[in-house]
Amino acid sequence: MTKLLQWLLGVSLLGAVWALVAFDLLELSLPRTYREVAWPIPLYLLVSFGCYSLATVGYRVATFNDCNEAASELHEQIKEAKEDLRKKGLKM
Amino acid sequence: MATGADQAVGMSLVLFSLLLFTYYTVWVIVLPFVDARHVLHRYFLPREYSVILPGVAAVLLLLCIGTFTAVILWKNRKPKKTD
Repeated sequence: MTKLLQWLLGVSLLGAVWALVAFDLLELSLPRTYREVAWPIPLYLLVSFGCYSLATVGYRVATFNDCNEAASELHEQIKEAKEDLRKKGLKM
Repeated sequence: MATGADQAVGMSLVLFSLLLFTYYTVWVIVLPFVDARHVLHRYFLPREYSVILPGVAAVLLLLCIGTFTAVILWKNRKPKKTD
């Protein structure tokens, strides 16, 4: 089973359960409140995802840091590369 | 390093998203279980707006993204024509 099929199966199962509750397809005589809550659940999930993304972006902006070790490593590598190129006769 | 302004902006983004999430959760999930005459209902718009407002926001967002993309593409195409 490919990943795509797995995802499609999961999504369609969830969608079926959602439709069952939201539109009361099996005439389960669920309380009205359940249907009222279930109906906007997809939108609610979307809004939650948006909030999570916004919070992640905000958190990463607030805790953005310098990578001193990576910078020094990169400088080291640049120096090595220049040395190597100079040995091979490249003028810089 | 993140400057003071960065931290302020980032934390306010986090705070805003948390507030939005809490408010929307109460509005959509909790409110149907609360009695219709309860005081809590006074602080929320009618239920249909919990779908309409995000819909409008989504349409506006998509419009903005579309306009932005169009402007960028249009600006990038201009110099190529003069070549």
